[in-house]
Parts: sequence; C-alpha cells; structure tokens
Amino acid sequence: MSVSYKPVIWNRTKLIYDAVLLAGIVLYILLYLNVGPQISTALQEVDPPIRRMRAFGSLALLLLTFVLAIGPLARLDTRFMPLLYNRRHFGVITAVVAATHAAYVLAWYFAYSPTPQMTALFTSNTSFGSIAGFPFEIFGILALLILGILAVTSHDFWLSFLSPPLWKGIHMSIYAAYAAVVLHVALGALASRRDMTLALLTLGGLALLCTLHLVTGRRERVADAEGSPVDPDDGWIVVGDVAEIAEGRAILGAGPGGERIAVFRSNGALSAFSNVCSHQNGPIGEGKVVRGLVTCPWHGYQYRLEDGCSPPPFRERIRKYRVRLAGTTVLVDPDPLPLGTRLEPLPIPAAPARQGTA
Amino acid sequence: MQRRHRRAHAAIWTGLAVVLPLAVAIIFTTLPKPAPDAPAVRLDAAPAAEGQP
Ligand code: FES
Repeated sequence: MSVSYKPVIWNRTKLIYDAVLLAGIVLYILLYLNVGPQISTALQEVDPPIRRMRAFGSLALLLLTFVLAIGPLARLDTRFMPLLYNRRHFGVITAVVAATHAAYVLAWYFAYSPTPQMTALFTSNTSFGSIAGFPFEIFGILALLILGILAVTSHDFWLSFLSPPLWKGIHMSIYAAYAAVVLHVALGALASRRDMTLALLTLGGLALLCTLHLVTGRRERVADAEGSPVDPDDGWIVVGDVAEIAEGRAILGAGPGGERIAVFRSNGALSAFSNVCSHQNGPIGEGKVVRGLVTCPWHGYQYRLEDGCSPPPFRERIRKYRVRLAGTTVLVDPDPLPLGTRLEPLPIPAAPARQGTA
Repeated sequence: MQRRHRRAHAAIWTGLAVVLPLAVAIIFTTLPKPAPDAPAVRLDAAPAAEGQP
C-alpha cells in the first residue's frame, strides 16, 4: 500500500515471481540460440546477431501476449489470480526485452549507416503509400514507446500522482501497443519470410487474446444485466442468503447502476463494501478477510471492516454500504455511505437451537 | 467505475478482433508476387548440394 514510495517493496512472493519469470526468459533465449538452429534451417542460415534479434523479438511478442492474457484468465479461473499479483513487473520486463530487440536491430542493420542511426531508422523506408511495403519499423517504435511509458509509470507513485482513473486510462494504451506489435510483425518478419512458428505465435496469440477478452467481457455483461432483486418496501437490494457466505469471504450484489457491492462475513458479522479497490479497481469481493482486514485479491491492499479505511499509515479508502438481515436474507442499501464513515459490522443472530425430541 | 472500465474493455477488444485480422489479411493479399516470367532458380535460394549447376 502507498504511504511513502520505495522503488519496489520486495516480499517473498514478488521475489519468487520475478525469479521464475527471469529463469523462463533466460531458458527461452538459450533454447532459441542453441537448439533453434539445430531444428530450423532458416535459423541456421542467418548470422548470430540476427538470431539474437529474432530471439528477443519473438520473446517480446510472447511475453506481451501472456501479460495480456493474465487479466481474463484470472477472471475465468481464480487459480490464475497469483499471476496478477506482480503483473507490473511482467510488463516492465516485457519492455526491457522489446528494447533489447530494438538495440540489436539498430546495432546490426544500421551499424554502418552514414547518417545517425536514429535518423536512418526513420528515413530508410518511406513507402508510406504502400500497404505491404509500409515501414513496419514505425509500428515497432510506437509499441516500444508505449511499453516504455507504461514501464516508467507503472510504480504506485504515478498511480497516486496521476489519480487512478487517469493512470488506468494511460495504461489502457497497452492495447494500442499490442495492435502496433501485431502490425510490426505482420509487415516485417511475416511478410519477408515464411516463418510458421512466428505466424502461429502472432495469429494464434491474437485469436487467443480476442477470445479470452470477449468471453470474459460477455460474462461480466450478463452479470451486470442480471442485477440484484430489489426489496419493494425500501429499495434495498437483495444480495443473497447469509448461508451462501463462507467465513472470511463475500458474495456480490449489483446496485441499480450495475455497480457491484461485496458483502463480507467475518467473525459472525456482515459488512458491505464497494467492490472496487481504490488501488487499481480490483474486485474486492473476490478477496478475503485476512487478520480482520478485507484484502484485495490483486495486490493485497487492505481495508478495515468497520470503516473501509486502510489501517495507518496507509490512506486508501473504499465506500461502505448499510446492510441488514431479513430472516436469513442479506439486503444492502444501494446508496453508499460517505468515504470513511464508521459502521460496525452487523452481527448475524445465532440460529435458534434445535429442539430436542423427547 | 469498474462497469465503465469493463465497457471500454469490451469495445476495445471487439475493435481489435475485427481490425487486426482484417489488417493482417490485407497485408498478405497485397504482398508482391514474383512475375510470371521470373526465373525458377532464384539467386537467394540455398545452393544445391552438388555445387554449381
Ligand atoms: S490491491 Fe491492487 S487493485 Fe486492489
């Protein structure tokens, strides 16, 4: 959580995450450079610097495809949730790999350029009027620029400095970067050589990502449209039965505008919160109560049950909602309380003891 | 907020799912093809195992 900013607040999970990621990257590069030429004649025939360039280029595409798949995968199956935890490091490493690819390209193709390398990069192909001959380098540069900006602004300092909506908006440009990468590869590598593996990686990845994102989007839309039934007497929304809520977990209801409300059960009492984490809009209701604090499943931001505020020294807050029980039915007032309002969790009355038989 | 965000996501991915495959298809159909009278033996092809023809 943010109170003062350190470059990275390391913990065991982040270290393991990054170690696995780096090991995977090293393994990919080693296999590409050493085993690749043995199984592909196309790779045998090219010079080692070109091989390195292709190794880092294809790896950047693979990593970008993977990082974009993490979000929908985590929504479809909670077992993918741990991948979300340190996704920003994944993104930063992807930018570094893409930059390495670009550095190899500059060092090889523009090494003996009579004009400065950067000038040569922008002026060596000016077929802007042609489709197949369009300077594919432009798309690569655009993608790298976006990845660089996102990597630099990925830190929580920028999230707080720019405000979450603006930060989120800027970071959605990752999709523009992905589109630019697909065009860069299609106009460049795929147009100039028959590389089935790269074609499969590019087009298969595109099909996979579109399917994953559209399927999860549809599921969310259906959930939004269903909404929650409303109590006609007071307009409170019916979230479900108290028996459906496991200890330390939540069930979700949807307010009239479709905004989701999470009702947590902890220590025999109920507390209702906005489902939107104040960090990066993570789904609070898919998290759990850890040591008396509601904990977001994405990056672990925590909020107190009684007022939705993060414990000191942190300053994040989420809205609370009033909750009541009608028998065993859980109802929530669709109007949120002002941020920081204290409202003690609602005790769940003990179930009446069973009558013994005589 | 989450809802608006979800809507934006859905619109973006619908757009990408239509535009990118179309763009790739157009790129491939406009790739220059060798002239019908181009020689069968290309200079950039791998040399035959026996050496010079
Ligand atoms: S902790 Fe990052 S979104 Fe909740």
